[in-house]
Amino acid sequence: MAAPTQGEDSDDGMDEFMEKFKTQKYHNAFNESNWEEEFEKVPMFMKTAPENIDPEKHPDLACIQHIIHDDDRTPEEKARSLKDEGNEYFKEKKYKKAVVSYTEGLKTSCVNPELNAVLYTNRAAAHFHLGNMRSALNDATAAKKLKPDHNKAIIRGAQCLLELRNYAGALQWCDEGLKLFPTDKKLQELRATADKQKREADRDARKAKVKAKKQQNEKEALLAAIKERGIKLLKTEKPPHRASDSEDEDRDEDTSRALADLQLDGISSQEATGARVYMDEQGVLHWPVMFLYPEHSQTDFFSAFSEDASFIDHLAVMFGEELPPWDIDQKYQPQNLQMFFEDPEKGNLYQVDLQESLLRVLQHQRCSVKAGTPSFIVLVSESPFSRQFLSGKKVQRLKLLK
Amino acid sequence: MLSEDEAKDLLSFLTLEMRADVKGQATGYILGLTGNRDGCRYLQSKPDFLKALVTLTSDPSIAIVKDCFHALINLSADETLHQPLVKETEILSKLIPKLQDPEFVFSDRICTILSNLSRHEQTCRDVFKALQELNVGLDRLVEIFCTEGFNKKASLHYLAPLLSNLTQLPEARHFILDKDRCVIQRLLPFTQYEESITRRGGVVGTLRNCCFDYVHHEWLLSDAVDILPFLLLPLAGPEELSEEENEGLPVDLQYLPEDKRREEDPDIRKMLLETLMLLTATKVGRQILKSKNVYPIMREFHKWEKDPHVISACEKLVQALIGDEPEVGMENLMEVEIPKDVEEKLQELDAKEQEQMEKDKQELEKSQNESPEGLER
Repeated sequence: MAAPTQGEDSDDGMDEFMEKFKTQKYHNAFNESNWEEEFEKVPMFMKTAPENIDPEKHPDLACIQHIIHDDDRTPEEKARSLKDEGNEYFKEKKYKKAVVSYTEGLKTSCVNPELNAVLYTNRAAAHFHLGNMRSALNDATAAKKLKPDHNKAIIRGAQCLLELRNYAGALQWCDEGLKLFPTDKKLQELRATADKQKREADRDARKAKVKAKKQQNEKEALLAAIKERGIKLLKTEKPPHRASDSEDEDRDEDTSRALADLQLDGISSQEATGARVYMDEQGVLHWPVMFLYPEHSQTDFFSAFSEDASFIDHLAVMFGEELPPWDIDQKYQPQNLQMFFEDPEKGNLYQVDLQESLLRVLQHQRCSVKAGTPSFIVLVSESPFSRQFLSGKKVQRLKLLK
Repeated sequence: MLSEDEAKDLLSFLTLEMRADVKGQATGYILGLTGNRDGCRYLQSKPDFLKALVTLTSDPSIAIVKDCFHALINLSADETLHQPLVKETEILSKLIPKLQDPEFVFSDRICTILSNLSRHEQTCRDVFKALQELNVGLDRLVEIFCTEGFNKKASLHYLAPLLSNLTQLPEARHFILDKDRCVIQRLLPFTQYEESITRRGGVVGTLRNCCFDYVHHEWLLSDAVDILPFLLLPLAGPEELSEEENEGLPVDLQYLPEDKRREEDPDIRKMLLETLMLLTATKVGRQILKSKNVYPIMREFHKWEKDPHVISACEKLVQALIGDEPEVGMENLMEVEIPKDVEEKLQELDAKEQEQMEKDKQELEKSQNESPEGLER
C-alpha cells in the first residue's frame, strides 16, 4: 500500500490525498500470479514465520517482534509473550529456538510461580525432544519445586528418568504423581513401563553374571588340566589389567594373569585369529602352535593342534603333496626335517622326535609354553643353513620323561 | 470373679484423673484378667471397663498406656469381645486416626488390634466403615503400608494382616482391584519382603482373597499388574534350569542366582499355591500359566518340598497345569455345578485326605525331633 507523504495531517491534505485516487491507478495491487506469495509476506496471513526476521524484508514482522521484546511491558507480560513465542516455535518443531524463548521468559523478573512452572516445563519438553535428558530433568525438577502439583512437570520428569535408565527415580516420581492424581492414565502407564524395564535390566544383570560364572569355571578347568599334565606356562612380564568382578577378585587375579598369557599370542601374532588353547568334550587339549622356518624367515600357524596328534602326521600334511611356495629348493620334505624347541632360560635347543605327540613334548621338563602358543623351529637336516644355525648353539636330543 | 462392689471400686480407679500408682495397679489387674479366657468373658459383660481401657490409652504415663494396649490386644483376640468393643467403646474412632501420625509409638499395637477385630466378617465391616468415615481409607492404608520408614517407632507390619482380613469384604477387594488406580501393584513386591513374615503373609493373603474374583484374572495376569512372577518367585529355587526353560519364564524368574532361597514358612507357601490354583479357574488363566512355563518351577519345587499339606497343594496345581482341558461348558471351573451326591463324596474324600496329611505331618515332625541335624543319640 502506498504510504501517505509526510507532513500530511490536515483535512485538506486528506482531501488532496483522496483526490489522487480519481486520477492515479492503484499500482501495488496483488496480481493473480503472485498474490499467494504476497499474502505470505503479510504478518497476519503468514503461515510460518521466517527463520530470521530481516527488518529490511519484513519491516512489519520486525516491528511486532520488537513490541514483544519491548522493555515497556511488565515482566509478567513479557514472560507470557515469550512463553507464547516459545510455544509457536515448539509447534513448528524448532526446539532450539523454543528453548531460547523460554529461557528469555525465565530471565524476566516475573514472580508468578504458575507461569514460571509452565516455562520450565515447556523448556523441559523442548530439551526432551532435542535429546538433552539431563537439562530436561533439571527443568522438570525446577518446575516441580515451584508447583509440586504440576502434572505435566511430574510426567516429563518421570519420562526423563526413564530415558536415563534411572528406574528407581522414575518409579519414585510416578508414585509421587499418583498420590496427587491417582487415576492419571499416563502416570500409570509410565510406572508400568519403568517397572517392566527395571525388571528386565535386573534379569540382564543376572544373565550376565551366570554367563561370567560359567566362563570362569571353564577357564579354571582348563588351567587345572594344563597344570595336571605338568605343562609349564611362561609368565610374561606385564600381564594386561583385566577388570574383574569385585567379589571374585582375589581368586580371579591368578586365573586372569595366567589366562592373559594364554590369550596374548592369538591377538599379537600375524595370524591373529584370537586362537587359544581349549579343552574339547572328551577332555583333550588343543593348542595353537607356531612353526618357525628361520632359513626363509617364514612361519606356519596351526590354530588347533590336538595334544594327542604327532608331529610327523602334521608335517606329512603340511609338506605333503605341495611344498610351500617359499621352499624354492624344494628341500623341505617330511623325511628331511628336524624340529627343535628353545629353552628360553638357557638358550639351548632341544631336538624333538617327530613321532612323538605334542603332549609328550610339552611335558618335557625344559619345554615351556610362551604366550600360550608352543613354537617349534624347523630345519632341513644336514643343510648348509642348518649347520650354520646350529653351530653357535648347544643342542640336545630330546630325552623323554616317563 | 469380682463382686459388684469390688468391680465398682476398680472401675473408679480407671480414670485419667486418678493417682498414677492406683491407676497403675488397676490397669495391671485388668491386664491380668485379660490373660485368660474367663477373665475376657467376664469383661465382655462390663462395657464400662472396656470404655475405661480405651480412654486410658491417652494417659500421660507410658506404663499405663502400654498395659491398656496390651489388655486391648488380648481382648480383641477373643471373638466374643469384638462387638462389645466396637459398639460400646470409641475404640475405632480413637485409635484409627493415630495410624496417620508418623511419630506415634504405639501404632503397631493399634494395627494388631485392628487386625484381630477384622478377622470375622461382622466386625470387619465395622472396621471398614470406620476407616472410610475417619478418612483413613484403604488408599491411605496402602500408602502408609508401602512407604518405607513411614513411622520410625513402629514397623507397621500388622497392616498386612489387616489388609488381608479386610479383603474378605467385596467392597475392600473392589478398591484393591481398581483398574483405574495403582493399588495392588504396590503390594506385589512385598511377597518377597524378607524382614517380616507378617508382612509377607498378610500380602499373600490379600492376593489370594483378591483372586477369588475371577473376572479380574485376565487383568491381574496382564502386564498392567503382572501378578504371576510375584507369586512364583517365593516358590522358585536356585536350581539351574536349561537356557531354553529360562527363556520361556517370566523375566523376574530367569537366571536366578545360586543363593536364591524359597519361602521358609509352609503356610505362606501353601497360600501361594492356592492363589495360583485360583488363577487356573478360567481357560485364559490356564493358558497364560501354561505358556509362562510355570510347570518347570513347580517340578523343581515338588522335589524340594517336604510338608505333606503343601505337597498336596502343589500336586493339585500341577494337575491343573498338565491336565487336559475340561470339556465344553466346564471351562470356568468356578462356575461348574456339582451334583449333590458327588459333592458329598468329594467332601468325604477331602476329609480322609486331610486326616492322612495330618498323620504324615506328625510323622515328619516326630522324625525331625528325634534326629536333629547333629544326629545325637
